Amino acid sequence: MSLSIRIAGEAGQGVQTTGGLLVETFARLGLHVVATQSYMSRIRGGLNWYDVRIGTEPLFGPAGKADLLVALTDAALEVLGGEVVEGGTVLYDGEDAPGVLAIDLAAVANDTGGSKLYANTVAAGAVLGILGYDVSPLEALLAEQFGKKGEDVVSGNQACARKGAELVAGAASALTAPEAGGQAQRVQAGAAAIGQAAAVAGVRFVTAYPMTPGTATFTYLASVADEYGIVVEQAEDEIAAVNMVCGAAYAGAPAMTTTSGGGFALMAEGVSLAGMMELPIFIVIAQRPGPATGLPTRTGQQDLLFALRAGHGEFPRAIFAPGTVRQCYDLTRRALQTAHAFQSPVLLLTDQFLQDTEQTVEPLPTDPDPIDPCIEAHPPAEYARYAVTDSGVSPRAVPGGKALVVCDSDEHTADGHLTEDLDAHLAQQDKRMRKEAGLIAQALPPERHGPDDAETLLLTWGSTYGPAREAVDRLNAAGTSAAMLHFAQVWPLDAEAVRAAIGSPKRIVSVEGNQTGQFATLLRGAGVLTECELLTNYTGLPFTGSEIAERISS
Amino acid sequence: MSLGDADTHPAWCPGCGNYPLLKTFDEALDAAEVDRSKLVLVSGIGQAAKFPHYTRANVFNGLHGRALPAATGIKLTRPELTVAITSGDGDMYGEGGNHFLHAVRRNIGVKAFVHDNQVYGLTKGQASPTSEPGMVTKVQTHGVMSVPFNPLALAIVEDCSFVARSFTGERDHLREMMVAALKHTGGFALLDILQPCPSFNRRNTAKWYKQRVRPIDGAHDPFDRDAALKLAFTWGEEIPIGIYYRSNRPSYESQVCPVARSRKKVSGTFF
Repeated sequence: MSLSIRIAGEAGQGVQTTGGLLVETFARLGLHVVATQSYMSRIRGGLNWYDVRIGTEPLFGPAGKADLLVALTDAALEVLGGEVVEGGTVLYDGEDAPGVLAIDLAAVANDTGGSKLYANTVAAGAVLGILGYDVSPLEALLAEQFGKKGEDVVSGNQACARKGAELVAGAASALTAPEAGGQAQRVQAGAAAIGQAAAVAGVRFVTAYPMTPGTATFTYLASVADEYGIVVEQAEDEIAAVNMVCGAAYAGAPAMTTTSGGGFALMAEGVSLAGMMELPIFIVIAQRPGPATGLPTRTGQQDLLFALRAGHGEFPRAIFAPGTVRQCYDLTRRALQTAHAFQSPVLLLTDQFLQDTEQTVEPLPTDPDPIDPCIEAHPPAEYARYAVTDSGVSPRAVPGGKALVVCDSDEHTADGHLTEDLDAHLAQQDKRMRKEAGLIAQALPPERHGPDDAETLLLTWGSTYGPAREAVDRLNAAGTSAAMLHFAQVWPLDAEAVRAAIGSPKRIVSVEGNQTGQFATLLRGAGVLTECELLTNYTGLPFTGSEIAERISS
Repeated sequence: MSLGDADTHPAWCPGCGNYPLLKTFDEALDAAEVDRSKLVLVSGIGQAAKFPHYTRANVFNGLHGRALPAATGIKLTRPELTVAITSGDGDMYGEGGNHFLHAVRRNIGVKAFVHDNQVYGLTKGQASPTSEPGMVTKVQTHGVMSVPFNPLALAIVEDCSFVARSFTGERDHLREMMVAALKHTGGFALLDILQPCPSFNRRNTAKWYKQRVRPIDGAHDPFDRDAALKLAFTWGEEIPIGIYYRSNRPSYESQVCPVARSRKKVSGTFF
């Protein structure tokens, strides 16, 4: 079972603070948590909300409706009051109103803790009280968070937490809370998991031009840069960022950048450069809806075919698309290793939903465990950077040793110097493209969830994993035989293996966060699919499991 | 290893200023005692950008206008390498203009040798950012109407740590300036090299430059920013050549890299 709490209010009002306190407290109570955020592109005002879903089993995505709504403004009550499950509870910050539990949070905070600033703590305490949970883990958390600000701040906040719980004690609530008492959990966000994996894998250089929702990974890396020894550079634009990454990669440093679709558009020529120069570059693309500036703080999966085709000319690349916070970590590492093994651009497609999703996960590794940069330590003096090989992968040296390393964006001879000789061009173009066979041999197979003989098969990629997984479980529980195949690597594909994995179910549905079914298009192009249904969502908000299940059933 | 003995034959027109430039650069590297195995020549696209291919050095010949960010990525991860750019007025000041603004601002330890012939050579004679008003081309059929970009003044305004100008027709002077730029250790070095383009620039010919270039007076204090700016705005009947400006700012890599290299957790990397 699971229960969903939604904290909604204006930006700057403490939606994030209250949500953050609750997420951490629930994890310490031994509950599984998945938390997602929905916010408008502004620093103050608007309507933002933070969905915290808790349960006794691992959770992968948000619920559609809240069991408990914490409305910090009238607008939150008006807009989201109807999105509460039947029999749910509404906690309202204000004077008494019909059908809601009303607390004037700021007044209580002021009376109890001596400051209106502690209103968020009153709210968090009240939520714990309504659900019947122990407030002491929250008190311990407050002591850790505010310890530096002094004893008064800590004790004031703790008193507010207790007061919040007291005020709702005995209040009528039909909610049944998941039982606490499991092992304390760790919470991690997708954006940070990507950054942590990169730091552990030995990334030495990260540069970016800030762009939501990619920025969270960039700032995470900046926050651990001194600890891991990473050079962090804010580029003047995305063109500079990708070219700096190419320079760093040429020099031998594992290097990466983060962006969103619009910034990636500016990087397209640099992707082609990495293809031609055979540089291991890693780009994290956190998608948001377009076209153009689009909806900067919302989510979507509209850039798959763009990522697949970006960059002029033809060259191999790999594209990963994590579906969970754990996969954000694992696939970042895999992407970096793949880029270095094949000296090619490798992309990771995530989105606002997964970047901001916090999940309880097994603790992720933090000790440095560098990938193999695949660099020749002792190249011969007569070294040719682009020696023609069967695999297409040429021994890679970096400048500064005995061998001169010559790399060119023009077509070049094996020694890296520019040429207009068409035979030399064919030899190099074929060499580069031969690397794709190696990429295919290492391609991750899709992961199946659900019965082998399911009549309905959902095809998913990237962040739709969680909602689709929940939908599959709901459908099977309701007697509809359904399974899903999740693609955490979307390019290149082992066509034969994918065809076998798909098999011949009665019904195939591609579940995608875009309008045109880009993944279905990709699969048809790869020759693994002829026809399928589309189940799309381009609202700017993520799928929910119940939504997918209902749409499949109808 | 020596420059100029690579197997390829330069794809430049006869009379191109790049020929004396290539030879002078080779001499300057020797004079400045640059270890060529630790030298990376970075370029973008244009006639100047072909230059590294006619040398024996480590080469990164990247995209048009993007030599500076690539060089910045190299220098920030391998500060022990000597990183030099050979670029043209189109590549550095046009396509790469934004990067130029920010590379100077950072004071990244990269030496930019900009072959400034005031015209686009590779694309056959269109105006460049430094073309003079009135110059007629196949595109600017009524003559150039924009004010020329002033790279030296801009670099001085941004407190660039080394700003100089020379001319391919004064080889001893050019060599001296190249050596000074190569020996500069305090960050970004800009050497704007005036160069005739006999194929496409009929205004600013070798003779035109020869009549105008004047070595900067020995009394000029390169740390005097006002005096340097005055020199940077001197153009026309007289064009100063020499070191316009110096400043003692710390290089970018000297500030960024020690922090990154004092890492606590790192192990197993090759450098």
